Amino acid sequence: MSNHLTSSEEQTKEYADRFRLLYGTLAATALLFSAGLWYLQIQSGEEYRSFSEKNRIKETEIPAPRGLLYDRDGKILVENLPGFEAVISPQYTEDLLATSKAVAEALQMDAESIKIKVDKSRRQNGPFFPVRIKENLTRDEVFRLKRLRLNHPGLDIREAILRSYPLGEDGAQLFGYVGEISKNQLPIFNTKYKGKLKFKQGDIIGKAGLEEVLEPDLRGHAGVSFLQVDAKGREAVTQTSNIYGEIFKDQDAIPGNNIVLTLDKDVQQAAYDSFKANNRIGALVALKANGEVLAWLSSPSYDPKEFAAGIAPDVWSRLINDPYRPLRNKVIQDHAAPGSTFKPIIALAALQENVVTPTTVIYCPGAIKFGRRMYHDHLKGGHGRVTIIDAIERSSNVFFYRMGIGLGIEHMSAYAKAVGIGSKTNIELNQEVSGLMPSAEWKKENIGEPWQPGENLSTAIGQGFVAVTPIQMALAYLTIGLEGKRFKPFVIKKILSHDNQRVLKEVEPVLLDDLTQPKAGRPQVDISTFQSVKQGLWRVANGVSGTARWWKIPGVEMAGKTGTSQVMSFSADQIYEECTKKPIQQRHHGWYIGMAPAANPEIVVAILAEHACHGSTGGAPIARDVIKAYMQKYHPEMLKNVEKSKLAHAQPSATENPDSQSRAE
Amino acid sequence: MKVSMQLEERTFLKRIDLNFVLVIFALNLVGLINLYSATHGVHSVGLSRLFLAQIFWLVIGWGLFFLLTIGEYHFFSRFAYVFYGLNLVALVVVMYKGSTYYGAQRWIDFGIFRFQPSETMKIALILVLAKIIAPKSRPNGLELKDLILPGIFTLIPFGLVVKQPDLGTAMLLAAISVTMIMFVGVKKKILIWAVVSTTIAVPLVYNFGLKEYQKDRIKTFVDPGKDPRGSGYNSIQSRIAVGSGQILGKGFRKGTQSQLEFLPERHTDFIFSVLSEEHGFVGSITTVSLFITLFLLAIRNASQARDKFGCLMVVGIIAFMFWHFFINVGMVIGVMPIVGVPLPLLSYGGSSMLATMSALGLISAVHFRKFLF
Repeated sequence: MSNHLTSSEEQTKEYADRFRLLYGTLAATALLFSAGLWYLQIQSGEEYRSFSEKNRIKETEIPAPRGLLYDRDGKILVENLPGFEAVISPQYTEDLLATSKAVAEALQMDAESIKIKVDKSRRQNGPFFPVRIKENLTRDEVFRLKRLRLNHPGLDIREAILRSYPLGEDGAQLFGYVGEISKNQLPIFNTKYKGKLKFKQGDIIGKAGLEEVLEPDLRGHAGVSFLQVDAKGREAVTQTSNIYGEIFKDQDAIPGNNIVLTLDKDVQQAAYDSFKANNRIGALVALKANGEVLAWLSSPSYDPKEFAAGIAPDVWSRLINDPYRPLRNKVIQDHAAPGSTFKPIIALAALQENVVTPTTVIYCPGAIKFGRRMYHDHLKGGHGRVTIIDAIERSSNVFFYRMGIGLGIEHMSAYAKAVGIGSKTNIELNQEVSGLMPSAEWKKENIGEPWQPGENLSTAIGQGFVAVTPIQMALAYLTIGLEGKRFKPFVIKKILSHDNQRVLKEVEPVLLDDLTQPKAGRPQVDISTFQSVKQGLWRVANGVSGTARWWKIPGVEMAGKTGTSQVMSFSADQIYEECTKKPIQQRHHGWYIGMAPAANPEIVVAILAEHACHGSTGGAPIARDVIKAYMQKYHPEMLKNVEKSKLAHAQPSATENPDSQSRAE
Repeated sequence: MKVSMQLEERTFLKRIDLNFVLVIFALNLVGLINLYSATHGVHSVGLSRLFLAQIFWLVIGWGLFFLLTIGEYHFFSRFAYVFYGLNLVALVVVMYKGSTYYGAQRWIDFGIFRFQPSETMKIALILVLAKIIAPKSRPNGLELKDLILPGIFTLIPFGLVVKQPDLGTAMLLAAISVTMIMFVGVKKKILIWAVVSTTIAVPLVYNFGLKEYQKDRIKTFVDPGKDPRGSGYNSIQSRIAVGSGQILGKGFRKGTQSQLEFLPERHTDFIFSVLSEEHGFVGSITTVSLFITLFLLAIRNASQARDKFGCLMVVGIIAFMFWHFFINVGMVIGVMPIVGVPLPLLSYGGSSMLATMSALGLISAVHFRKFLF
């Protein structure tokens, strides 16, 4: 450094006037701060002092009522009821232990856990944040707490809004439930809805089903009211000057938006009642021809109200440990082998690829040999000489084994994927699974083995790797029924403003695809092919050998298909063993997918009857009930015309026991 | 040997700026007393961990202070780029591996303590800028080309700190840089150009460069009614705390606003409210005066520096301390927006304490060497 030898005077001489600037800045700052402190501490000191000693602002949140859910006719499905909850504000408590003990006695709770809860929240959320102790207080509890309040500052009873589900466990998995936001969810939600919604500890949010998906609409905006209170948290009696001024102005809560679903409460009720009457577990979904969900059921179920009031640990553990998984939304979350309900899809492929024509007759014995293995039919004697339409009606395995051999996996896979098997339907709900439609490549990649020719046979009757969800099956059958048209399923029809005055969003049906039109990457299917398969489906419900012929609705022709999904693999001998003699959890699942009217379906119902052994007895009667309820509501004229002439022809006679016959699926 | 040591000792006491040391010591005392109050609530038993940690950092801080005082500060001129480079690396490490607290990644966790590189970056930036600007400074001001390097060296850490995101510290880096450049002086033409371009840039940055919470804070400052429960609430509570202190204050550990936990962050950003509430106008003015005295002594040291580097380094450090002081106290008494900036020597914080004491040590070093060649 050359500067080293020059004197400091010379070096920094040029800065001399700048130092004056620094001194000036300091002087100005000293003046500004002195003036500020003087103004606050001396000029307004007394006012602030009295404020800090006598009065504080207590901020109370006015919760926003969540939006309501209506069915397609405007009937209430999910609503809110007023209630009371007990809270403790840590900032005002004098002796938390004593307060906890008193509250615990009044509410029959554990004093220690109340204290821990309050202490924890005090650390996490600060002392201002009121801690919710118990929701949904009874009248007696409110009364007892009111007396306690005098001696226990900080204890409060707040008005609360309780979510209410008039349908109870019916459709619970679709509507979902609400609960207090967890510590882990808090940052996730605040990132997800950044700039739109703010979440904080203690907020009630949708935790499952539509409540979860519709959170941004249902939530609304909480209001806030400010009260001047004394140091013990009690409302101030004397009015002191309001130092806060305009800052603390009450804000009203804005309720969430209301939602109109595509669901039909009457059809839903019929589905639920039928499930109950038949003592079924499993899943049901009913769709309108344009993809609107009419009914949605997952059984066994739970009462969402239990969650709204803060779920009790024992109820929770019972729900998650139930082997029949009541919390799962089985319509989209459970996938199973489609069994014989897969055969109509294979029939589409076989007819379109000219493996057979509608009139080709094939001899079907009780079993065929392929490779070194015997492939059995469920009917020991076989079905004799049948066409593809007969084969659908009677659900012949051997016929479809031959189709599987003729088609090969790539064709089967292409047609199944074309009707939506193996991919999510993207209905507006979380946690939908995609199911699986295998291909040779898929097996190579995921299992590391080449495709075996024998697997073509099991795939053709819907066993092996194929896995489908009930909603996929409903849509696939709808595509067959509508002769190629594929609609996107949806359950949210309209979003209304909280006063129902404005329609914020209206959802139109979406036509995803028309299989009769050419499109790259999927096979094209002729209308005549669909018609042949539909004929087979009609025969299932109406033909003399139809596997679901016992359940009819006078005046309305139905079409459908039964199926059995093997829960565990059994050797040929065991397949013939009476399913109903096994322990429940080892019994096969039954499938039934039904449509009506058969020629031009308006409604399709898919039922996965878990551990019901058969699709015909397990699913078909329920489908009949649901379709009947729909027809009674929307086409009463069809039912009336026949009521007088034919009567109760629908029940199976003693000689024609469906249980013994329905092995034929 | 003995004689030389005595001589050494005498010259040490003579050469050190004792007034400066005493003022710092006084502020330390005020800081500890006040921190004790802020960290010991109504129900606390024994000494708080935070309080003990602060004493620990203070002792280390004084060690650094004296080490730097007697050291040759040109060592820092020579290694300025190395310090700067290491700090940049640390900032990048924070970005990828740093711990997140209060929603921002600012710390590197060393287990026993969390190191906040943005604090030491302030010092590294001061050193680098002093080194670059000193040989270029001329009586009629810097030219545009002289500003390119200082600009780049400021913008890199500025960008990294904004990313954390810590707007307060980033603005401080910029403020330090601008203060140093303005101190040296720039051509009039550049000054006018800078004013014009800032007027254009500010609304642009506000609309496109700031995060929502950062905008909120500025909005809250302009109109506290906008967010009554967020920053506005803090601002109000802080003003009540300060105001209710009146002339003599409510007394040590008797501040209701702070003891009842109405004040957020009362041991860090709002430490001055605790002091004002408990010790009133008298205590606040005394503390403000101590800070002003500290700055006056530092400015005197700058004016007596033996070279431009030393002078500019001290000016940079003054800028660093002053802006912290100005923003923090200004925020507490409601003349500045709520920005998370600690008050040097009074707020709790290891990194801040070490950076502050080191910086003060460098000022002391300039005084120590002022008559040496």
